[in-house]
Parts: sequence; C-alpha cells; structure tokens
Amino acid sequence: MKEIVIDISDDGEIRLETRGFKGKACIAETEFLKNLLGRETHRQLVPAYYQHEHQKKAVRKYLPLCG
Amino acid sequence: MSHIARTDLIITSLSDLEGACRDLGFQFMADQKTYRWYGHWVGDAPMPDGITSEDLGKCDHAIRVPGCDYQVGVVKRDDHYILLWDNWSAGGLAGKIGPNAGILKQAYSVRRVRSEARRKGYRIRELRMKQGVRMVVIV
Repeated sequence: MKEIVIDISDDGEIRLETRGFKGKACIAETEFLKNLLGRETHRQLVPAYYQHEHQKKAVRKYLPLCG
Repeated sequence: MSHIARTDLIITSLSDLEGACRDLGFQFMADQKTYRWYGHWVGDAPMPDGITSEDLGKCDHAIRVPGCDYQVGVVKRDDHYILLWDNWSAGGLAGKIGPNAGILKQAYSVRRVRSEARRKGYRIRELRMKQGVRMVVIV
C-alpha cells in the first residue's frame, strides 16, 4: 500500500513522509501536496528511493551436487 | 518509506483560511482593512519579510479571536497571504493561535490537504497526535 504521511505540528511545521513507494515515483506523487502547502525546505532520500519500481528480486539457483 | 520532506507553509487559499477560522471558532472579517494591535512598533520581534513598521496595523482582511483584544491581519502579497499579529501577552493572541500562529496554520493545512486529497479521490485517515495532527493519504 502506498501512503503519504503528513505530520502538521501545533507550531505549524509540516513534515511529509512517503511509504511503500519505490524509486522516484514518491517525489512525483507528493508534488501536489508540496505545491498546495508551500515550499519544500528539506528533502531526505531513503534506500527505497534508489530501488526501481519493477526491479526483479534476484533468484539464486543451486545445482544439485550429489544425489 | 522512500523520502521525507519538510515544507514551509505559504497561505494561498483565502477560502481554506476562512474555513480554518470557522473550525477554530474564530471570525474571519472579510475586507476589514485594519487589525487591532499595540499600535507602535517596539522592535521586540523580527519583522516578516517584505513588511515594514509602516505596514503594521493595515491588512486586507482580519481575524477576530474570541476572548482576545488583538486581532490577526491577513495581508495579500502577490499570489499569497501573510499573517500579521502582535504577540504581546496583553493582546491574548499567543495562547489562542499558538507560537508562530501554529494552531491557525495547522488548521489551514489540514483543510488544504483534506480538500485536495478528496478532490483526487484519495482516502485519508486523520489522527490527533501528542504534538500535532497526522494525516495519512492512501494513494
């Protein structure tokens, strides 16, 4: 499931966090919120950002060595 | 999770600001050209960008907060709005709108996100947290 979590503190600070996205899609998907609320002042990318949307999982194959 | 961003709020929607005032029990005074404040700039707080002491007390709209002598001025600047208010304790605003008008800005942001997410057909969950509001938009 893809989610955008928006924390709006009592002193008006806004923090956005994307969950469940892979790759650069998260930036595009949150753009409407950033434009809606103001100006982005800080961005931190996390490991999932560097994964491709359709990246296949590596499958390790073993050869039967005996039997 | 794939990225975390922080955003500085810019108020662009007068109707959502008006709605936020309703949510908080404040009165939005459309076209009120002055707001109540101490009346003299004493230099005890930084001036907002693009505002001089001559601009204080003047506004395009105002917000009346029940129980407060002072009011919040809403000033139009290009394509957005700036909030001006006097934080002096005697005016009563600090306790009602929060530091940096955070309570008012929070109510505005909640309305803004809620209306846009619904317009896009996204589901939203809203939670009251210890120090603020959490909105979860399911994309």
